[in-house]
Amino acid sequence: MNIPVDTILSLVLLSILFSFGSSRLPGLIKVLAFQGVIVSIVPLVIGHDLTTGGILFTLATLTIRGIVIPLCIYLAIKRVAIRREVEPIVGYHASLLAGLGLIVAAVVVSHRFEAPSSSASVLLLPTAIALLVAGMFLLMARRNAIAMVLGYIMMENGIYLVGTTFSVRALHIVEFGILLDVLAGVMIMAIILQNIKQTFDDVDTALLRTLKE
Amino acid sequence: MIKSLMFWVLAIFLAPFFSALILKVKAFFGGKKGPPLLINYYTLVKLFKKGSVYSTSTTFVFKLGPMVSLSSAVTVLLFLPLAGQAPVFSFNGDLLFILYLLGLGRFFTIAAAMDTASPFEGMGAAREAYFPIICEATLFMILILFYVLTGELRLAAYFTGSQPFGLWQMAGSPMLFVVIALFIILLAENSRVPVDDPATHLELTMIHEVMVLDHSGPDFGFIELGSFCKLFFYASIIAQLIMPFESGYLALNLCLFTAGLVVVYLAVGIMESVMARYRMDRVPKFLLTSFALAFFATVITLEFIK
Repeated sequence: MNIPVDTILSLVLLSILFSFGSSRLPGLIKVLAFQGVIVSIVPLVIGHDLTTGGILFTLATLTIRGIVIPLCIYLAIKRVAIRREVEPIVGYHASLLAGLGLIVAAVVVSHRFEAPSSSASVLLLPTAIALLVAGMFLLMARRNAIAMVLGYIMMENGIYLVGTTFSVRALHIVEFGILLDVLAGVMIMAIILQNIKQTFDDVDTALLRTLKE
Repeated sequence: MIKSLMFWVLAIFLAPFFSALILKVKAFFGGKKGPPLLINYYTLVKLFKKGSVYSTSTTFVFKLGPMVSLSSAVTVLLFLPLAGQAPVFSFNGDLLFILYLLGLGRFFTIAAAMDTASPFEGMGAAREAYFPIICEATLFMILILFYVLTGELRLAAYFTGSQPFGLWQMAGSPMLFVVIALFIILLAENSRVPVDDPATHLELTMIHEVMVLDHSGPDFGFIELGSFCKLFFYASIIAQLIMPFESGYLALNLCLFTAGLVVVYLAVGIMESVMARYRMDRVPKFLLTSFALAFFATVITLEFIK
């Protein structure tokens, strides 16, 4: 086993549990920022792109993933004065247990894949799968629109980790493209959220059902 | 054997001292001088000098409560390896014995509280019965993890191993989560701040303190000493997990062990100074976090071992 990588990846898995358990948006954003930073240094720790370009790319990812996106969302909440609760559909205790089940499932499922990552760390693929599913879970189980955006970002983190699993040269460009998409998406979402807030005085997505022609 | 017994007596005598460290830390954070480090001994001496008052509506269960809770805490210490020293007693499966011994102490405390028929004490007893259920789940999860790692069911086997880093070498980073989970258990089982406030004055918000309101004099002294021993038990397990060094020299081992203990007690003190207690309905979530951590550590470790 590779101790630094495994430690970092277990921190990522832990951040999933924390994000399921946190009831306040600022807390959730902090967890996601932490997760972004940790996820983006994984390639460095695995050590298969220690070139200047690779390091620069990692630093850029880290800045966008760990600082710019969370800051955008944080400022968005500040500006529109959204309610701080994440308004769960599935309760926190049930979410925590679901998170545990999800991690176990991710570990079991990852054995089915013939991924070339197993040399780097046994946890890499399970973590990536767990992140993908956890992002999906946040999307489904929270009614607050900001929490849903955060779910998307968590899924993106998972995709990035899957990408790290199959590290190829051209990957950087693809990754960067995805990241820019997400960044643009977050900004658009911030604007949309502001509009939802102005129309309904709340960002509860259940209210969108009342929209009519 | 003699040495182990001496360590046991030493542990019981030192437990109140370490508990006073928490008070000192809290006083430091409050900008106060705080009580002297020997305050708990003064309190115990004062309590033992007094006479007991028993309500006429109580039965022998009420008198039995403090004695059983003290003796269970003290007996548990017999199984605890201290500073790499073999414990007085150790047999296969003694961990389960220890867990249920602690459960026995709790049962009698609860029974004594119910015996007074005071509504406040009944409320505290209900809480005391509810929260440890989740703690027990966590403890068993950790037990499973340790069993998978070492194949042993003796508490002593986990801390007196021949490897210098013991469990850390086998499990690695997940041990960190085990330590955090155990720390949460320590806070909950010994009614420290985020779960219960030992210094509170309102019966409605108490858990442990409200159950012992009717005890007085030596009985209350027993309860206090028992709770110091229980805290010492949990703290020394964590201390041996965070200081897993086995130097071969008794003096050095003792220094490391004491350093670990001080770290744990300081952490408890800092926790109490910077946090407010949780609302009663938030406590299960806090305890569930510890279960999640322990479960998570077990899953990851199983993955590593494969």
